[in-house]
Amino acid sequence: MSSKTLKLPEAGQWPDKLVAPALIAGAVLSTIGFLMAFFYVAPVGGATVNGAELIGDVMVSQKMLLSQKIFYFHMPVAITSFIALGFGCYYAVRFLMTKNQRFDTCSRLCLEIALLFVVLTMITGEMWTRFEWGVWWSWEPRLTTYLILMLIVIAYFVLRSSVDEPERRATFAAVVAIIATIDVPICFMITRLIPSSIHPVVLREGGMSPEMGMCVGLCALGMMLIGFVLYRARFGQVRLTQRVDALKETLDDER
Amino acid sequence: MTDREGMRSALCKAPSTWTQYKTLLAKDLKAEFRTKDMVVSMGIYAFLVIVVFGVALSFARPGAEFLEVSGGLLWALVVFTSLLGLNRSFAKETENGCLEGLLLAPLDRGVIFLAKATSNLVFLALVEVIAVPLYWMFFSSFAAPAETGWLLVVPLVLGSIGIAGIGTMLSTITAATRGKDVMLALLFVPVIFPLLYACVSATTCALVGGDVFADGFLTSLALGAGYDVVMILASWVLYDFVVN
Amino acid sequence: MNPILADIYSTILPSAPYIIAAYALLWIALLVYVLMIYRGTKKATAQLMLLEEAVADQQKKAE
Repeated sequence: MSSKTLKLPEAGQWPDKLVAPALIAGAVLSTIGFLMAFFYVAPVGGATVNGAELIGDVMVSQKMLLSQKIFYFHMPVAITSFIALGFGCYYAVRFLMTKNQRFDTCSRLCLEIALLFVVLTMITGEMWTRFEWGVWWSWEPRLTTYLILMLIVIAYFVLRSSVDEPERRATFAAVVAIIATIDVPICFMITRLIPSSIHPVVLREGGMSPEMGMCVGLCALGMMLIGFVLYRARFGQVRLTQRVDALKETLDDER
Repeated sequence: MTDREGMRSALCKAPSTWTQYKTLLAKDLKAEFRTKDMVVSMGIYAFLVIVVFGVALSFARPGAEFLEVSGGLLWALVVFTSLLGLNRSFAKETENGCLEGLLLAPLDRGVIFLAKATSNLVFLALVEVIAVPLYWMFFSSFAAPAETGWLLVVPLVLGSIGIAGIGTMLSTITAATRGKDVMLALLFVPVIFPLLYACVSATTCALVGGDVFADGFLTSLALGAGYDVVMILASWVLYDFVVN
Repeated sequence: MNPILADIYSTILPSAPYIIAAYALLWIALLVYVLMIYRGTKKATAQLMLLEEAVADQQKKAE
């Protein structure tokens, strides 16, 4: 039987070398995206107005919505939260395969980043909804899916804090992470596919013009890089704390 | 017969998966029907929830709009009742140390999961058989359902299968935690959400009838069935890790 | 400004506080997380220094 030594993720490995360039790239891309959102992309129209006016060289007959600009960061943070959840699931699977606590740490941190970005999604989404629809909440498919995602991630952390034994806690957490990663896409699809003739939900998708798509893409890339940087920073800090605690224990034992 | 043949025939053959499954299921059902305390308490709880709904709706006017919410209310009833049942059913196992005994035997973990899920399904089905007609009886004064109303049995079956499957997996996890009941509810509700959404849609379609029914019923059922298959498969595979 | 133009631009000023709030809260939340990581790292480094002193003391005692 081949004895393949398991290579564990550790602070200081190759991803850390990418942190500095990633941070700069992420900041630059996000700033470009921000500026693009406000100055380059055409504004989206809202309710129609009586009559039409010539603005620039386009015939405008709808109210111009500035609040839609929130979307250019709302979507990217949402995408990043899904990706973080995906990585959390990957590390959870690796943990279940190898039973090595290091993967459990990685999984937990990915879910932390996911929680952070879910909170960001909810904040931006809340501001957007409040202005657009004049209500604080509506049971709209997108919003409900994010709410479910937030609940599952919170449940993950509550579960972790209510199991004392480390091995058991890691196993349960890994299973829940996998179930969550399977559940969220199903959530997303089901709320879209079920015809809502009873519940007339105004889905403001329309289509995205190429400029809008590019702006969202840039911001999404920027946010993903920032998420990656945050993950490595947190991972470094947690590893340092873990090694310090381990040292303390060996010192206490020797005494 | 040589000595070796004699020895071989004297050695026990491991029971087949189907026999294992049947035995475990029979054990659960027999244990419950001896005292019937779980089914009875679930039934009483369902009745009390209906009473609370009745009070909650005391100022609602009867009319066709009621049909749009009645499907959802029925599913709220099912979810609350099943949460109670799932909590109880695993508590019994851990109380009597039955689970450790099961794990010592060389059983396939997946079989344990299927047997437990089936017994939970049976209990839930029993309670639903009583609760759903009761629900209708209490709320028939609000509006009469369409002719397709009886078709709500289909999403009920689909939903109950899903609830029993994923609920068994989650209750196994939370039985070993500190805040058992709340932890189960905290995990259960978000995970079951897609199934709930699909089943409420299908039930409301069946109750309202007409165009709405034609539009949504089959799609919702198909999606709910998809959820069931995916989630029960995932639970079956992951159960091995959870029960140890 | 003719009334139609005024109508077209009517939602911009009222929406400004929400937009500013959205972006501001986003960056504040990220900053808070970064601060948490920073404080954790500082604490761990401080403990590491204490431990190094303790190890040095033990080595001196052993000599």
